[in-house]
Amino acid sequence: MSSERVRAADAAATPGSAPQAAEAPDQQPAEATATAPASRRFRIPDAVFRFQSYVGLVIVFVAAIVLSPERGGETVFLRPENLANVVRAVSEIGIIAVGMTFVILIGGIDLSVGAILGLSAVGSAALLMRDDLPVAPTVGVVLCLGLVFGAVQGFTSARLRLQSFIVTLAGLQIARGLARIWSGGQAIPLAYGDEPNLAPPVFGLLNSRILGGTLPIPALIFVAVGATAIFVLRRTTFARHVYAIGGNERAARLSGVAVTRVKVTVFAISGFLAAMAGIIHAGQLNAGSPNDGSGYELDAIAAVVVGGTSLMGGVGKVGGTLAGALLLGILNNILALNNINANIQLLIKGVIIVAAAAVQTFRSGTE
Amino acid sequence: MPHETLLRMDGIVKHFGGVQALRGIDFALDSGEVHALLGENGAGKSTLMNVLSGVVTEYGGMITLAGAPVSFAGPADAQRAGVATIHQELDLVGALTVAENLFLGREPRTRLRLVDRSRLRRSAGELLAEVGIGIDPDRVVNSLRVGEQQLVAIAKALSLQARVLVMDEPTSALADAEVERLFEVVGDVRQRGVGVVYISHRLEEIATIADRATVLRDGLRVGTVQVADTPAAQIIRMMVGQPIEKLFPGSHAATATPLLEVSGLTVLPRRPEPGRSEPSDVTLSVAAGEVVGLAGLMGAGRTELLETLFGVGVPGGRTGTMVLDGAPYAPSSARAAIAAGVGYVPEDRRGAGLVMSGSVGSNVTLAALQQVSRLGVVSVAKERAAVQRSVEDLHIKTADAGVAVGTLSGGNQQKVVFARHLLHRPKLLLLDEPTRGVDVGAKAEIYRLLAELATQGLGVLVASSELPELLGLCDRIVVLRDGRVAATFPAAETTQEVLLEAANRAPAAGPVAATVTEVA
Repeated sequence: MSSERVRAADAAATPGSAPQAAEAPDQQPAEATATAPASRRFRIPDAVFRFQSYVGLVIVFVAAIVLSPERGGETVFLRPENLANVVRAVSEIGIIAVGMTFVILIGGIDLSVGAILGLSAVGSAALLMRDDLPVAPTVGVVLCLGLVFGAVQGFTSARLRLQSFIVTLAGLQIARGLARIWSGGQAIPLAYGDEPNLAPPVFGLLNSRILGGTLPIPALIFVAVGATAIFVLRRTTFARHVYAIGGNERAARLSGVAVTRVKVTVFAISGFLAAMAGIIHAGQLNAGSPNDGSGYELDAIAAVVVGGTSLMGGVGKVGGTLAGALLLGILNNILALNNINANIQLLIKGVIIVAAAAVQTFRSGTE
Repeated sequence: MPHETLLRMDGIVKHFGGVQALRGIDFALDSGEVHALLGENGAGKSTLMNVLSGVVTEYGGMITLAGAPVSFAGPADAQRAGVATIHQELDLVGALTVAENLFLGREPRTRLRLVDRSRLRRSAGELLAEVGIGIDPDRVVNSLRVGEQQLVAIAKALSLQARVLVMDEPTSALADAEVERLFEVVGDVRQRGVGVVYISHRLEEIATIADRATVLRDGLRVGTVQVADTPAAQIIRMMVGQPIEKLFPGSHAATATPLLEVSGLTVLPRRPEPGRSEPSDVTLSVAAGEVVGLAGLMGAGRTELLETLFGVGVPGGRTGTMVLDGAPYAPSSARAAIAAGVGYVPEDRRGAGLVMSGSVGSNVTLAALQQVSRLGVVSVAKERAAVQRSVEDLHIKTADAGVAVGTLSGGNQQKVVFARHLLHRPKLLLLDEPTRGVDVGAKAEIYRLLAELATQGLGVLVASSELPELLGLCDRIVVLRDGRVAATFPAAETTQEVLLEAANRAPAAGPVAATVTEVA
């Protein structure tokens, strides 16, 4: 019966003679009726699929409300401080995951982000405490470091035609090694004050909250990064090139896309955002340790996948990633509120990742 | 050798959606026979063979193998029944040795169920010797030349008790010496009573190797002839069939303003790739408003030439000069070529043309984003307007510019690629098989579009395997062979027979070459 439909469409698309303008109106309705059954049959599930991560987020959110402990007649989960805390807790992973989304969209992967986070946390602490650099230059140097580190990885991957998996696996080791060397293998604690060998107190703002003490600064930065990324991926020519490379690199190249330049930029963005997360990490923990961020790359990939971005590249949205990060954050939060063992959290997270990927596969199977 | 009917296909019917690919085809193959299957692209050869080899499982009609009706559930099923297909992309595992490939999945075992390597090697050596293929069974398949790989694939098929061997364009990637060797092996295969279906465009080969030839056209069988009694010209006429001139919009006036001038263009690849014919001393020109065709057999170097002109050929050196619109032209990338005013519609629409995961709109504007954006930000309104214009100008049938391009029909997908390379307003358009996999209606539209573009002063260089298309569309036709220009003809003064002859002629044929040069 599906061939009937195709036949009708083909009949409309294959007029006996070269089509003339006068024929065009006749073809339109035939085409419309021919395609209608397909869209009607799949409409409801497709909307669910398209907004898969948002649907998942709502489900988890509602489940969290239901499962939340009550204290004094109040749902603990819904308290503003708790909600703000959820966002703060996911901000580092979330910022990294935004960068990871760009990388995965071009069909790559970036395993170095956790190590870059660690290197940046160490770098921030070392520059502030040992070198007595003011906050602005410290932040500038560390962000530049992440940017360059990412760019070099992107260039290596694009130019030498090495898989980004390999290049960033090497980058992970190198960043981790640099962090150990820089820190001397020890965590560098931050102490605030105006004397030498103390960090400027303004850096401690990363640990503070605004809006009457409800909105943590890291959460604010996360939201700003997310909003910027959404705009970039929706509206810029750069994003078009990113999607095109992920969808069909050869076609992109043949269309004049500067593939190497785009790849370098994408990895630079990922490195830059990992460095930003590292600065926040140092600020939140008041220390920079060379082992900071271990395994964060996998949590970031998980957020991207749960957010519906295809590991094959070319398909996905930052909004999905943000929802994915929040979904995993709420999950951690509600399990912690109920004093459920952190090891159980890992099991549930694993199931959710597989479920999200399975839904994606099912969707692409129906198209 | 007693010749008896080994395989019969009766009244085979197959349609894909509304396209009738096969309209009741009868085909018979004797044991010990090499039966050529001929026809232009889209005539139905591949579909017929896909029915035979179990790739296509839903069809009308009946297949009888050695007197018993058969119906294959899949390729593996067909292979078990004795129908083996040697594909253009060979089904060998490149990282394994020849011996391991020959016995893949049925390796001789030791008592401990481990692979008996010495027996594996010995059996493989015997098998290769039996078929007369002198290849070391310990060599890794990837290290073999394509021709040798093909021989290994044949040996494997025979070891699987194949009774019918289907060979799809087996010589397209082979050098002359390898072709000879292949023919020896095919001769041997025939001696064993195996029936061979041989698909090729090269008529000289058919004359050498085939007993009978069946010609298909538009899903119908035109006829079956004894090759020995039939002149090549008659076979060509059978393939070409009725004129399709009515599809063409008629002549347009080519100007005398030279647009692209290529002289002595030779590409020296850093690492030569087997099967590619790089441009060699190519001299040609395209005037503004002119449509120039590139004819030639598979592997003659048409795609390679177009890729070089678009700056995306193989890495390596390049000699000769190229001038585009009066300025020296030496593109090092597609980006540079597009900036210089050249557009390119590649042959492989899915692999090199479209971003299938993208929308119609994003595919159309991909090469011209700077036109619809400011400071790197895409203007939604400008983009929508540009896409809308393209959709209307090219009659792209799509519900909406936001739908995934993969949902469009082949013809409309092709128009999207055209739209992309028209939007950046090129002066020269390079087209590689622009109507492949496109239905007749869309073909006519593409022809009309090209004529219109030429009238506006665009130069078009179009490579096609369909000679009627080139004859109807072009002002001049350049025939390539082994990367060289074999001949150039004004389209109005030539015929398919002449073109085919020029494309087929052996390089050494001196006197014939002289006469054709006079014609040119």
